[in-house]
Amino acid sequence: MTHESSAMSIVKEFILDEFLPGEEPSRLTPTTALVSTGILDSLATLKLVTFLEQTFDIQVKAHEADEEHLNTLHTICELVDSKR
Amino acid sequence: MDFAWSEEQTQFRESVKKFALEELNDGLRERDKRSEFNLEGWRKCADFGIHGLPIPIEHGGLGADPLTTVGVLESLGYGCKDNGLVFSINAHMWTLEVPLLDFGSKEQKQRYLPRLCNGSLVGGNAMTEPGSGSDAYSLQTTAERRGDRYVLNGSKTFVSNGGVGDLIIVYATLDRSIGPNGICGFLVERDYPGLQVGRALEKMGLRTSPMAEVFLENCEVPVENRLGREGNGKNLFTHSMNWERACILASAVGAMQRLLETSIRYAKDRKQFGQSIGKFQLVATKLVDMKMRVDQARAALYQTAWLQGKGKSIFLEAALAKLTISENWVRCAEDAIQIRGGYGYMVESEVERELRDALGSRLYSGTSEIQRVLIASLLGL
Ligand SMILES: Cc1cc2nc3c(=O)[nH]c(=O)nc-3n(C[C@H](O)[C@H](O)[C@H](O)COP(=O)(O)OP(=O)(O)OC[C@H]3O[C@@H](n4cnc5c(N)ncnc54)[C@H](O)[C@@H]3O)c2cc1C
Repeated sequence: MTHESSAMSIVKEFILDEFLPGEEPSRLTPTTALVSTGILDSLATLKLVTFLEQTFDIQVKAHEADEEHLNTLHTICELVDSKR
Repeated sequence: MDFAWSEEQTQFRESVKKFALEELNDGLRERDKRSEFNLEGWRKCADFGIHGLPIPIEHGGLGADPLTTVGVLESLGYGCKDNGLVFSINAHMWTLEVPLLDFGSKEQKQRYLPRLCNGSLVGGNAMTEPGSGSDAYSLQTTAERRGDRYVLNGSKTFVSNGGVGDLIIVYATLDRSIGPNGICGFLVERDYPGLQVGRALEKMGLRTSPMAEVFLENCEVPVENRLGREGNGKNLFTHSMNWERACILASAVGAMQRLLETSIRYAKDRKQFGQSIGKFQLVATKLVDMKMRVDQARAALYQTAWLQGKGKSIFLEAALAKLTISENWVRCAEDAIQIRGGYGYMVESEVERELRDALGSRLYSGTSEIQRVLIASLLGL
């Protein structure tokens, strides 16, 4: 498993557990929109940022907690990778 | 965790306390009665460096870290009984200066931050609307891009510093159909065409902090005054609220300490049934509870600021600090009145004002119920 894909599976599992309980895992793809569709609302975003910081030991800056960086699994993992 | 104050921090805190005790309390009862803002006190605090505490030196501030900032604000709250003035300063710092610092362009920061730090500009934010309070992101105020301007339409209420403000962040939606993702923040100057400050709102407490309605009727805002990217307003507001929750009640911890000390003194001096009322266990217990609440509040404040200084996300801690301090402040003020008996109920005692001031803290920056909702959610519930 590559570095990126292991991060992606960790984040994917968290999002499925926390925000999409009961959802078929295969329907959450690396490009599924999360912010613009409301899956990540403001509270969920706080939870996700806290999870990313604690799990990957990184700091997410205030202006990064936005649609540009958190809208898909792909962009989330790009953000995580850019900080490791 | 290390909350020990350095020699320099201790001196700064002591000098703020002395300054506040000597310079900010005269005429407060009359100002409170008349709902009058202390502009002179505002300027003195700015000269002292309070307004620019967390703002880097290059932008006109003192560049203090979060723990030093809350420590100094705590001392300000201890010395300054004018909780309204302190609240106005806090609204200015946390709802305008800090979001501008973290989301503003270089030009925006250069243009506004030095004057916000030196107090020549008074600021705040306008999020709340008649139809959207706790559910802030359901706001109805619209923004439409027209060439080199945005045109804003809507009404805002409960705008702290509204009546005296020169610059406010107004939150509006560029596209209602995409909900919170359409929200954007704008730096709106008082004299922009179409901005109208409505009537002053008379409050129960914090009466020396002006509050007003704000109306936007085709209010024209230059494109360069958009704060952050289009649609990034939710993020901007979340960030602003996080700072607000963490720091806005730092001064309340100082106010609580003041209430505790004066209440102990009263309980020792006041005699009934041939002895100090503090000798009655039912009175002493209140003082013990006050002490417990002040210490809890202070611990929550310092822990949050310390974590913030380490660059950690503090969503949970900030909500807990806001909830703990506001609830404990109200309880302390209630006990301070009860300990003074009928005298505490008299305006002259200046304790009833403390309770009126404290009650607002359970409402602004998210009500206590909303903090609990947030905390429960962050606990995974
Ligand atoms: C002193 C003061 C200063 C302020 N300054 C500003 C300012 O500068 N700028 C600004 O934009 N706003 C400001 N406000 C407004 C403040 O942010 C709002 O009053 C607050 O968010 C609550 O909104 P609301 O008053 O509409 O109450 P509502 O949201 O209508 O709430 C009414 C009651 O319902 C409860 N409630 C609502 N939703 C929930 C829920 N999901 N779960 C449980 N309970 C819930 C609330 O806790 C409250 O008890 C200020 C308010 C005060 C009192």
